[in-house]
Amino acid sequence: MQVGRTIWGPEDNRRVARARGAQPRPEHGGFETVMWYFMRISGVLLVLLALGHMLIMHVLVPLGGGEINFELVVGRWGTPFWRIYDGLLLVLALVHGVNGARVVIGDYARHGIVRNLAVGLLLAVSAFLLLLGILVILFFDPSTAPAVGPMS
Amino acid sequence: MFGYRISWAQLAWFGHRASGIGVLVFVLLHIVETATVLAGPDVYNFTQGFYHNLPAKLGEVLLMAALVYHSLNGLRIVALDFWPSTTVYYRPLTYGIVAATVITMVPLGLIMVKDYVPWG
Repeated sequence: MQVGRTIWGPEDNRRVARARGAQPRPEHGGFETVMWYFMRISGVLLVLLALGHMLIMHVLVPLGGGEINFELVVGRWGTPFWRIYDGLLLVLALVHGVNGARVVIGDYARHGIVRNLAVGLLLAVSAFLLLLGILVILFFDPSTAPAVGPMS
Repeated sequence: MFGYRISWAQLAWFGHRASGIGVLVFVLLHIVETATVLAGPDVYNFTQGFYHNLPAKLGEVLLMAALVYHSLNGLRIVALDFWPSTTVYYRPLTYGIVAATVITMVPLGLIMVKDYVPWG
């Protein structure tokens, strides 16, 4: 897909992108091109989702005189809307962040065992935590959560 | 200090990376800490207690600032990528994003720490 007018050839795209410090759009399609578009589309959605989440939890909640505790979570996750919102935020933020970290690792260790180990560790940890987060959002049920625990 | 002139483009690029990695590390921690909600109010309110003090609130202000900067700079990258003619405004956009981040963080930061500062 050609962006802009004909004066912007692929060489200009790369040169201008490098000059301002962004990743140039990959030219040959495939996984890297898909991720290039994913980062931009998910990024725009995350501006709304992540900033919205921070504004609600860390600006509106203290303005209303509240604080984040179990009761607040029970109230929020009592409606499907906030479970869907938080689930969407979790998946988009994690995939966006992990892909960004993968690109950063690739800039410092382009090939070889160091890169493979670092990216492998990143993917393993984040896949485990993504699964954990999805399970918590799907299956949290205050009626079965133990009322008394080791802290009391 | 660097032996050569650092441009705003390089600083914007570095800021985008640093804020992105910072937010990712917090997201990973946040998933673990939120998962304790499954263990009931006793355990969850204990883990949330780690955040209910001034140093943690200052960390949350830093997280918010990283997110605001990363969001605005990300929108700038999207604009420059999909509408290359906006490259003419690259310099005022870069300055504007730094200024907008600082200006929005003043009221937000004050609200975020208000219950924990000694004069609050």
